[in-house]
Amino acid sequence: MFREMTRRAFLARLAGGVALTAFAPYAMRMAFAQNATTPDLAPATVPAVQPDPENVLRKTIPSTGGNIPAIGLGSWITFNVGNDTALRDECAAVMAAFLDEGGIMIDSSPMYGSAQDVIGYGLARLGLPKSVFSADKVWISGGDNGPGQISDSLKKWGVAQFDLLQVHNLLSWQDHLPILQRMKADGQLRYVGITTSHGRRSDDLADIMRREPLDFIQITYNPQDRMAEQQLLPLAQDRGIAVIINRPFQGGRLTEYLAGKPVPDFAADIGAQSWAQLILKFIISHPAVTCAIPATTRVNHVRENVRAAHGPMPDAALRARIAKAVAEA
Amino acid sequence: MSEWWSYSLSDLLMFSPRVYYRLFEGFNTAFWLPNLVLLACGIVFALLVWRRIGLAGRLVPGMLAIMWAWVAWGFLWRYYTPVNLAAPWMVGLFAVQVGVLIGHAVRPKDLVFAWRGDFSSFVGAGMLFAAIVVWPLAAPLSGRAWQGAELFGSAPDPTIIGTLGMILLARGTWRWTLLPVPVAWCLISSATLWVMDQDIAWVMLVVAWLSVLGGWMDQKNGVTRGRLP
Ligand SMILES: NC(=O)c1ccc[n+]([C@@H]2O[C@H](COP(=O)([O-])OP(=O)(O)OC[C@H]3O[C@@H](n4cnc5c(N)ncnc54)[C@H](OP(=O)(O)O)[C@@H]3O)[C@@H](O)[C@H]2O)c1
Repeated sequence: MFREMTRRAFLARLAGGVALTAFAPYAMRMAFAQNATTPDLAPATVPAVQPDPENVLRKTIPSTGGNIPAIGLGSWITFNVGNDTALRDECAAVMAAFLDEGGIMIDSSPMYGSAQDVIGYGLARLGLPKSVFSADKVWISGGDNGPGQISDSLKKWGVAQFDLLQVHNLLSWQDHLPILQRMKADGQLRYVGITTSHGRRSDDLADIMRREPLDFIQITYNPQDRMAEQQLLPLAQDRGIAVIINRPFQGGRLTEYLAGKPVPDFAADIGAQSWAQLILKFIISHPAVTCAIPATTRVNHVRENVRAAHGPMPDAALRARIAKAVAEA
Repeated sequence: MSEWWSYSLSDLLMFSPRVYYRLFEGFNTAFWLPNLVLLACGIVFALLVWRRIGLAGRLVPGMLAIMWAWVAWGFLWRYYTPVNLAAPWMVGLFAVQVGVLIGHAVRPKDLVFAWRGDFSSFVGAGMLFAAIVVWPLAAPLSGRAWQGAELFGSAPDPTIIGTLGMILLARGTWRWTLLPVPVAWCLISSATLWVMDQDIAWVMLVVAWLSVLGGWMDQKNGVTRGRLP
């Protein structure tokens, strides 16, 4: 994560910097004549352990009985890098590592700026891997605009059809759901879903879950946001709806807060080596959860995240201890 | 969307600070020549506004219009739009300001630029210095590459700060029409930098506040009502 220097350090350097000003035009000319610097992120260290896709926990999609790995990949912010080739290549490297580890579900939306284009770029670079489970969204007012947006999204991804299309944040869901159901019936789509986050409009979502034949819902759930345990997760189980979990790290706030704090000893009992893995294990071990979709810009993080789906999962008692440990850290 | 009220500003930020700052690197690398030429013009014109010079009333708004158009098309449209869904609206805002600046460049009773020694003159001078000298240094001083320096004439924030500095050094009727768009941009930019956790966010707020204060004091003192004797 980018760190701004402290104001004091800024002012101290400013004093010296002003003296440089006379030479600035020359220095700028010299600097601009070179290519843009390549990203200053040191190449992420790859864990020494070899990927073990066979060992990744897979969970069932109730509507079809199929199954998918319990960790997917989000793309909000992290993959919105515009046309910056160096950053696009970094995203492609994250996707490559994700697939290498045995992950398959990649989630995006027309709302995520250039993220869909960047996923398309990555997929093309990786030779359009067949294993990918493409999960995208429709996010536009009015049903008439839905099909156009979906075909734009398909072009951006560079795929012929999506595995899952979700109505993003319930926007115009009454219009979009019938269209998605029709696409599914026509064989142009495998699964239909709907999303929300931050616990917004939970009651509306519950109503829709009761009335509509959904394959997936996507909601927020993590040791700090447990509202879904009250209503949505049990309802999903009841109705046989698969559940994707967004914001597993509260958009990164949780991992940032926990960074440097000692990981509890009991983490070793379930093979978790970091807070991130502990949190992901907490999430995917909930019986109603099908998969979590953490987003990342880093190869080592994506490997760490998929590997959270290896090994033993916490039982109810251990899940309670994880939530307590996160709250008290 | 029916629940906009439940979104916090940070939920709406759709790119990372790293991506944002690298936009300037890419922009400066691809367009170093126009960006440096505009910076040089900006420096020359900043020197013009101190003493009353006949043509400055037309040349300065004209040059500022070119800068705003370049920021809008060169930076906002080509670089910012792919990562920010709101950028096309910002381009619209900039287009309005280009129109207003051109209006001032061609109107019969042009603006007069000169040092008056009052509050607005000092603030205006300070803003020009900040736009031309200080803001570009923020990149290297924050550990980012020189190529990512945000320059007066091509990057939005320093161009807005410098524009406001020049406006504060101007006198003439309808001068206030030049203020709303830059002030609005200061608020937008400050909010963006703030959600990106950048300390520098407060600078844009102070710039907006000083501009409005300076404009108001000038109004009270009769500075904007007529030309210099
Ligand atoms: N309504 C909706 O449909 C909706 C709403 C929100 C989100 N989503 C989806 O859900 C996805 C996930 O949510 P999110 O992106 O908001 O938040 P998130 O996955 O909770 O957090 C992402 C942040 O976590 C950090 N991170 C990832 N792995 C890490 C690790 N192993 N260790 C430490 N830090 C780590 C990343 O930083 P680094 O880059 O440094 O790794 C990134 O900044 C989104 O990308 C999007 O696809 C959907």
